Amino acid sequence: MHTSTLIIVLLGLMSLAYYLGRKRSLNLVSGRVRDLHSLPSYYGLHTALWCGIPAILLLVVWISFEGSVVTSLVVDSLPQETQNLPPERLNLVLNDIRNLATGDIVSTTVDENMQQAADHYAGLQSISNMAMFVVALSLAIMAGYIAHRSISRQQRARNRVEKAVNFFLLSSSTLAIFTTIGIVLSVLFESIRFFQQIPVTDFIFGLEWSPQTAIRLDQVGSSGVFGAIPLFAGTFLITLIAMVVAVPIGLLSAIYMAEYAGRHFRSLAKPVLEVLAGIPTVVYGFFAALTVAPFFRDMGATLGLGVSSESALAAGVVMGIMIIPFVSSLSDDVINAVPQAMRDGSYGLGATRSETIRQVIVPAALPGIVGGVLLAVSRAIGETMIVVMAAGLSANLTANPLEAVTTVTVQIVTLLVGDQEFDSAKTLAAFALALVLFVITLALNMIALHIVRKYREQYE
Amino acid sequence: MDEVINRSSTIARELKTGSGAEVGMQVLKESQSSGTVGDIYVDDPRMTCRNVNVYYGDKQAIFDIDLDIAKHQVISMIGPSGCGKSTFLRCLNRMNDTIDICKVTGQIKMEGQDIYDGGLDVVPLRASVGMVFQKPNPFPKSIYDNIGYGPRIHGLNDNKDHLDEIVETSLKKAGLWEEVKDRLDHPGTGLSGGQQQRLCIARAIAVSPEVILMDEPCSALDPIATAKIEELIDELRENYTIAIVTHAMQQAARVSQRTAYFHLGKLIEVGETDQIFTAPRHRLTEDYITGRFG
Amino acid sequence: MNKQQQQQHERSMSRVEKGLARRYRQERNFKRLGLGAILMGLLFVSFLFISIFANGYTAFQQTFVKLDVFYDPEVIAPVGETDPDVLSAGHYGGLVKATMRELFPSVTNRRDKKKLYGLISTGAAFQIRERVMQDPSVIGQRESIWVPADDDVDMLIKGHIDLSLPESDRRIKDDQLSWIQGMQEDGRVEKRFNTTFFAAGDSREPELSGIKGAAVGSFFTLLICLAISFPVGVAAAVYLEEVAPKNRWTDLIEVNINNLAAVPSIVFGLLGLAVFINFFGLPRSVPLVGGLVLALMTLPTIIIASRVALKSVPPSIREAALGVGASPMQTITHHVLPLALPGMLTGTIIGMAQALGETAPLLMIGMVAFIVDIPGGAMDPSAVLPVQIYLWADSPERAFVERTSAAIMVLLVFLISMNLLAVWLRKKFERRW
Repeated sequence: MHTSTLIIVLLGLMSLAYYLGRKRSLNLVSGRVRDLHSLPSYYGLHTALWCGIPAILLLVVWISFEGSVVTSLVVDSLPQETQNLPPERLNLVLNDIRNLATGDIVSTTVDENMQQAADHYAGLQSISNMAMFVVALSLAIMAGYIAHRSISRQQRARNRVEKAVNFFLLSSSTLAIFTTIGIVLSVLFESIRFFQQIPVTDFIFGLEWSPQTAIRLDQVGSSGVFGAIPLFAGTFLITLIAMVVAVPIGLLSAIYMAEYAGRHFRSLAKPVLEVLAGIPTVVYGFFAALTVAPFFRDMGATLGLGVSSESALAAGVVMGIMIIPFVSSLSDDVINAVPQAMRDGSYGLGATRSETIRQVIVPAALPGIVGGVLLAVSRAIGETMIVVMAAGLSANLTANPLEAVTTVTVQIVTLLVGDQEFDSAKTLAAFALALVLFVITLALNMIALHIVRKYREQYE
Repeated sequence: MDEVINRSSTIARELKTGSGAEVGMQVLKESQSSGTVGDIYVDDPRMTCRNVNVYYGDKQAIFDIDLDIAKHQVISMIGPSGCGKSTFLRCLNRMNDTIDICKVTGQIKMEGQDIYDGGLDVVPLRASVGMVFQKPNPFPKSIYDNIGYGPRIHGLNDNKDHLDEIVETSLKKAGLWEEVKDRLDHPGTGLSGGQQQRLCIARAIAVSPEVILMDEPCSALDPIATAKIEELIDELRENYTIAIVTHAMQQAARVSQRTAYFHLGKLIEVGETDQIFTAPRHRLTEDYITGRFG
Repeated sequence: MNKQQQQQHERSMSRVEKGLARRYRQERNFKRLGLGAILMGLLFVSFLFISIFANGYTAFQQTFVKLDVFYDPEVIAPVGETDPDVLSAGHYGGLVKATMRELFPSVTNRRDKKKLYGLISTGAAFQIRERVMQDPSVIGQRESIWVPADDDVDMLIKGHIDLSLPESDRRIKDDQLSWIQGMQEDGRVEKRFNTTFFAAGDSREPELSGIKGAAVGSFFTLLICLAISFPVGVAAAVYLEEVAPKNRWTDLIEVNINNLAAVPSIVFGLLGLAVFINFFGLPRSVPLVGGLVLALMTLPTIIIASRVALKSVPPSIREAALGVGASPMQTITHHVLPLALPGMLTGTIIGMAQALGETAPLLMIGMVAFIVDIPGGAMDPSAVLPVQIYLWADSPERAFVERTSAAIMVLLVFLISMNLLAVWLRKKFERRW
């Protein structure tokens, strides 16, 4: 039986509880609503909440921990020598057992023990499933029954329901905080483990990045070097190219839209440009890899330049295209925030439009524009798919945009996608990179938002 | 009765100055159609407005206004809010061009040249008809750069020293020099409201205009700052023609020589300020002056 | 004094006149620059769309080959056999090969035969099996059926293979070319609408692959994402805008939300990996985890849009409701929320469109697996559309290029219709107070 079935059954129970609670409250006063403390529907809601919430909470907790509990039980039942395997090997075995239990293809040959374990696993799973069903439903019915019994004329049902709703509202709003804390903790812990293996200074100042660690001790050549400078340099190079494309085009088109364009042109061109903002980054990545990169390579070949087919230029230009609408809509906002009086003052002196724009509006809007550009930079730094698909993998320390470079996000993806053991420096390095990424983008955002807010306050 | 006398005296003057009888007849017809009480003509006009209509989209804001603006005189335009006095003022240096849906018809001539004529350029027009706005609007630049902005864009200065000189004389004319001469590099936005407005006047003066339009220049200021500006306007009259829109009747009485009363987009009455305030001829003017509405 | 002023004015005016031409030239150039920037942007948009369309429109057709199959009882099962187990065990691949040999009896060499078989998709065998299982009575009979051609043949028919290249550089060899021409002359080759593309899951063979698996995966993922982010987002907005006192704590939440909105999406993926998969032990590659991660990611968008919607409800409405004795909660649920709902929905749709196009965080939680089956629920391993695009974009076959582009077109159709819906909602319910 599926969990979704259970949820549907619970929802059904809740509506039943609502109906019964409402009816009981009406019966209590034989239909004279006036005699009740709250409206009948609140009694219904009160009953329904009691019926649903404890059961749903139980369900969430159950599902969250079911996997680990069942797995540890299965591990306990495994033969001793299997239990003593290193964690990553044990994980492989467990994976096989799981696959076997669900009837999927298994990577190794199936022996007696595995078959037994798989049966055990499947058995535990179905027991847990059944138990969850029974426990959740009886909890729902019991709690609902108690709430139903407790309905009385004086019961402050409305206040209780409102309290519950208030609590939901409050906890919803704090979710943002928990998300941030979650990000910081999850990234920080793994990073600390990484820095226990690799010194921080090596990571931040190292000039060489080659994350292949030896899988066997006797392997040679790949010792794993984690100097992140080439990644920072590559990220910076691509971001710079993106900004060179996005800032002038975005800013100038925002200026044209705000100061020159007629209403018809604006209503036509603006949404078309905004389409660029709605296109998924994976599409840009494909566009970069399939169309733009070969185009630059061929053009380079005609000019006698060696342009790599994964050049920083292609990734950067496409990223710039992606960011154009971002820059232009932010600039549009700040340009429109410049008071009309400022323009009038300038026009009143006989300035032309372009003089007014260049010498009055842009200087006046400059803080806001800078803030917007910083936000765009932060977005470019954190952008992943374009560079994963169009930039290189090997860490080159170069300032030449025609060569292939790699970025922080590309490395995070390559380190974490695919099978990996969770404790190696290679995997942990991804979290260290993510920490750097998070800190830098966070700082940029804070600064940018602060600047923009100060700017807005100035004209309000 | 007065109207008839008044108009015939105008015709007589037209004839005397030799503009010809046909013109006189036409003027007679026009002023009948606009229905303004009082003498819309002056001897030595800087600007002449005939049949001015302004539309915002489909809505007409100004109806058939005829008015002369005399040299070296302050003319004030009064009337209840929404009467079109500001709109009319903004026609005089084509500031309405910046509003897309605004359309102006009729004739506004300056030195015999129609400023709404296709051939006339708005840049030199605005250089010779400066404007000061309701709310002081210094640019977010230094005091020096605020004044220097106009001369710089128009290329009026030969070199830095010349610009310094222009800045100094403009600030002196605006009566602000003594207050700011030690902090010319401070932002103009840091000055007090009254100082900012005088800065805006100095900014307008810096391009040596002939006419200065002022759109309720004191409405955002306290009484002391207002007094200073009024004093300044009186001084400036010697060198400039000034048209001021105000909703404070006392201000009009204090600073202007001629007053025009607007009502619902029409010019109701125009005349010597003293006459308007002591002996208004039109009922609406009288009601407004005596405070029955406004 | 007057005279002097007059002279100065005249001097100024002559200078102004002198500079005019230059200044208007500057003005024109600046205007052109702005227009150029916009045109550049428009050019990029059209270039991108044209490039995707030009690469992808052919994927909506697929080359089929007509085979005269003899349902050989010796290969499949005796005539009259109906047991599905027996039927499905038949050697259908051999049947296809036999049919091809029959078609080109001159091919005898082993290597050539292999090339010949390569013209037909491996899916043909499955198609024949389906046919037999559906109707076992065909065994022992002969029938013409259309089966998909191999992707290389498909590419050839669509003109994506450059025949001027030397034979060794081509995926279609000269003898294969002549066979295909032979079949074409017989009217055995035809391009038809590619239903497989919309009805199948992923496959290693381009001609058998489709986007249904990914689309269904996207659907479940978005469903989870919506089920969490909409109620929570609206609740958070209501709390911050209507209930909460303005103090340090709410300021902190507000700053937090604004910052979260700009955190790179890949970081959310790492959060999902660390929390949902490593800590809670939820399985990898499932829409449930994907939906949770995307919900956290879209939450700031929805909260911000919902707050704007709530702000635009005038205070007079609240005062009116409170004035007749409604509780604050009743005021919100009866009066404020209904008025703010269209704005909130608009924000939610835009958030969902964002989530639908998001790839990076899903890579982190393992949604890049090669999954053939079409998922049946939020706990089945599945891909999503953008990830499918990413996977196909990585595949070397030319046929996957057109499928990638076609998948992008499908994704864009979804995204654009979502955005249009949002625009329509905003237009329809826009209210000026």
